[in-house]
Amino acid sequence: MTIVKKSLPYLLAVVASFVAAGIFIALMGFDVFKAYQTILFTSFRTPNGFIQTLLKFVPLLLLALAFTIPLTAGKFNIGGEGQMMAGGIGAAAMGIMFADLPAIILLPLVILGGVVAGALWGLVPAWLLYKFNINEILTTVLFNFIALFLIDYVCTGPWRDPAAGHPTTVLIGRGGWLPMLVNNPPLHSGIILAVLVAIGVYIYTSRTTGGYELIATGANPRAAGVFGIKTRRMFVLSLVLGGAVAGLAGAFEVAGNQHRLIEGMQSNFLQLGMIIGLISRGNNGAVPFVAFLIAVLEVGASAMQRTMMIPVEVVFIVEALILLFVLLSDVVRRK
Amino acid sequence: MENKTILELKNVRKVFGQIVALDSVSFALKRGEIHGLLGGNGAGKTTLMNILYGLYRKDEGEILLRDQAVSIEGPRDAINQGIGMVHQHFLQISNFTVLENIILGTDVKNKYTMKLEDEVVKVKELCQRFGLNVDLNDVMSTLPVGARQKVEILKALYRGVDILILDEPTTNLTPQEVDALFESLRVMVNEGLSIVFITHKLREVLSVCDRITVLREGKNITTLDRKDASEEVFVRAMVGEKMDIENSIYFATEERQVFDRTSVEAPKLKLENVNLISQDGVQRLKDLNLEVFGGEIVGIAGVAGNGQRELAEVVTGVVPVSSGKKIYMGDDVTSKTNEDLLSSGFSYIPEDRLSDGFLPKATVAQNLILGQHRIKPYSDGRFINWKTVYAETTKNIKEYNIKTNGPGDVGGNLSGGNIQRVLIARAFSMDSQVMVAHNPTRGLDIPSMDFVYQKMLARREAQMATLLISEDLDELMRISDRIAVIYRGEILGVLERSEFDKYAIGRLMSGISPENQPSKEKTLP
Repeated sequence: MTIVKKSLPYLLAVVASFVAAGIFIALMGFDVFKAYQTILFTSFRTPNGFIQTLLKFVPLLLLALAFTIPLTAGKFNIGGEGQMMAGGIGAAAMGIMFADLPAIILLPLVILGGVVAGALWGLVPAWLLYKFNINEILTTVLFNFIALFLIDYVCTGPWRDPAAGHPTTVLIGRGGWLPMLVNNPPLHSGIILAVLVAIGVYIYTSRTTGGYELIATGANPRAAGVFGIKTRRMFVLSLVLGGAVAGLAGAFEVAGNQHRLIEGMQSNFLQLGMIIGLISRGNNGAVPFVAFLIAVLEVGASAMQRTMMIPVEVVFIVEALILLFVLLSDVVRRK
Repeated sequence: MENKTILELKNVRKVFGQIVALDSVSFALKRGEIHGLLGGNGAGKTTLMNILYGLYRKDEGEILLRDQAVSIEGPRDAINQGIGMVHQHFLQISNFTVLENIILGTDVKNKYTMKLEDEVVKVKELCQRFGLNVDLNDVMSTLPVGARQKVEILKALYRGVDILILDEPTTNLTPQEVDALFESLRVMVNEGLSIVFITHKLREVLSVCDRITVLREGKNITTLDRKDASEEVFVRAMVGEKMDIENSIYFATEERQVFDRTSVEAPKLKLENVNLISQDGVQRLKDLNLEVFGGEIVGIAGVAGNGQRELAEVVTGVVPVSSGKKIYMGDDVTSKTNEDLLSSGFSYIPEDRLSDGFLPKATVAQNLILGQHRIKPYSDGRFINWKTVYAETTKNIKEYNIKTNGPGDVGGNLSGGNIQRVLIARAFSMDSQVMVAHNPTRGLDIPSMDFVYQKMLARREAQMATLLISEDLDELMRISDRIAVIYRGEILGVLERSEFDKYAIGRLMSGISPENQPSKEKTLP
């Protein structure tokens, strides 16, 4: 009963946003019902669609967590994209430098390379915040640009694949490839790790003392500090954890999907991750479910573009409207 | 001279969720009177006035202003109708000057040049007329609470109100400031204003109000002329039939047994020559020596802002001392942080509950374990035992009479008094050897205050040490075994219970130490 009651505003928000976006689609002269049918059911009609949805789900989930973990401590990590790219670079570096190692060593090394690189990308803004009180929103955003150019350098530098038309590196060692769960269409095993990470984050924030301190810091840093919580350390911890999770997403792109570093792999995961985090209202337990919903919409959107020639941006409108309506439902409920 | 009724609230009802905050409450204000609205925490005083000021919508009832029904949709309507309100928490911009705060939101004559000569004249005239002396060019954040309150009153007067609502106006004031405020209020009503004075302090309404309305649990209890009723009538009306006045500490008259320090070996807490110099180089605590024994309640008296907060934070380890020593049960704990101290027998009720003591975005249960979340029974150091926490929270909600929907309720839904109860429950539910309580009863009604005093005396019986820092001198004299008076970060004197004297303490509070007798005709700044 209470769950129904609690989720009702969200369901209403989703329905309302579909109705509102439907008006746009209709105005553009398309068939609204057919469009929504494509958006909602592509993921479930074919195995291929479902696997595509899961592949989309992994980075969305991780990037959303990279945003919500620091948010739990009251900090805004807008650098998930840069941390993901750094993670990709770290993973690719391991996979190329130690290409000949067997899988049992190379695979953990690749994953770890991504996680550590992502964490480092979160650590620098965190350290600047700790030491000099520099706003983390600014520094994490700026670090996205650094990662962007770094990836460009790596993809066109000594590891460049001369045969490719697009800036990419050579393949990483075979041992660094994530094992496949399904071979055709391909689904890599990163999803298991991603779900475990999400469960771990949920347990950490809701059950442990450390997680409690993160929540307390986010709720009122001054009071948390008065009662013995080292809030500045919590800020650092949360940003480093967020960076590590984003870095993991980068490692999965390299080890699971492309098996090489490709420019542009960050896609628009940062924006979608933030939208997911905000729709979940920072609740780490809700993030996986919202992330799955958005993955369904994303996959449905590209199918819709292919089959009906409706621009994929329509789905951005739907996603943005969901966010707006969820925020609006909070206001309405308070009245 | 018989003044006529200027404002009437009739059968006002207001429901929040399932809680009936006001149940058919009526209230009449006459022209030129100070009308006390007396009642405990949660009685509905502030809710009633917030409805009048347009901050809440009433569910039922009507408002008659000068015999005409009015609808007040927001504070702007209220001000246009001549109703002003001074809230308990001031709504001010702290880096603006006094003048800027007063004129904020009003039409200024020279809009583009911001030359404010006309406005200055008008404000100065108001200051003079009502005895509200503040320097208009002072920046808000530099002012003491008493002066900030004057600004808040000036804000209302500047907007030309003739009905002024004051919500617990004396909460943060010293006795001197209270006197000055009452004088100003008298001048205002003599000039034809009408004042609603919301308070839970009986002595204040008795000394300043013309008529008094008592509310309890959202209902009208009585409205009486000051001169027609005795103190007992109001006490009974306020606290209801349930409270045992005979055995209360609040109304206690008999002398308590004096604390016998010879029977205790060593103090639980000892400060030796503690100095604290703030980051901007100001000396906040100066050569401070203090001992608190087990089984003793030591009170710290002083005008607000004389180092009380710094003292509390030094003792609890929130800020490190600049020099000096801190000894806890014989061990040197000078370099220990608050994290260590809270886990090893300290508890703390901070003064500023909203900023220093409470997590509005967290649940009641999460709030209750703050500072004790690393130690048993709440946690094994790594995982929080939420089952125990929820069970304890449920128990504490009942014992400390916290009005909330349950342990999982969000802290931000609680009223100020209930937030204070959470802080009190947090500190008292742990058997701490040393408790630092800074204004622990601020914003509480009489039965709740009495409950806190009972708890403190129980600590005293159990041979635990309590440091009570309070701005309420009555409270300190009621419950302390000794009172130390702090002035500009220095302890000017310590009085035993047998030597308690309001005037002596008052002199020390204004910086006149025994070595510095007024007989020398030396005036201190």
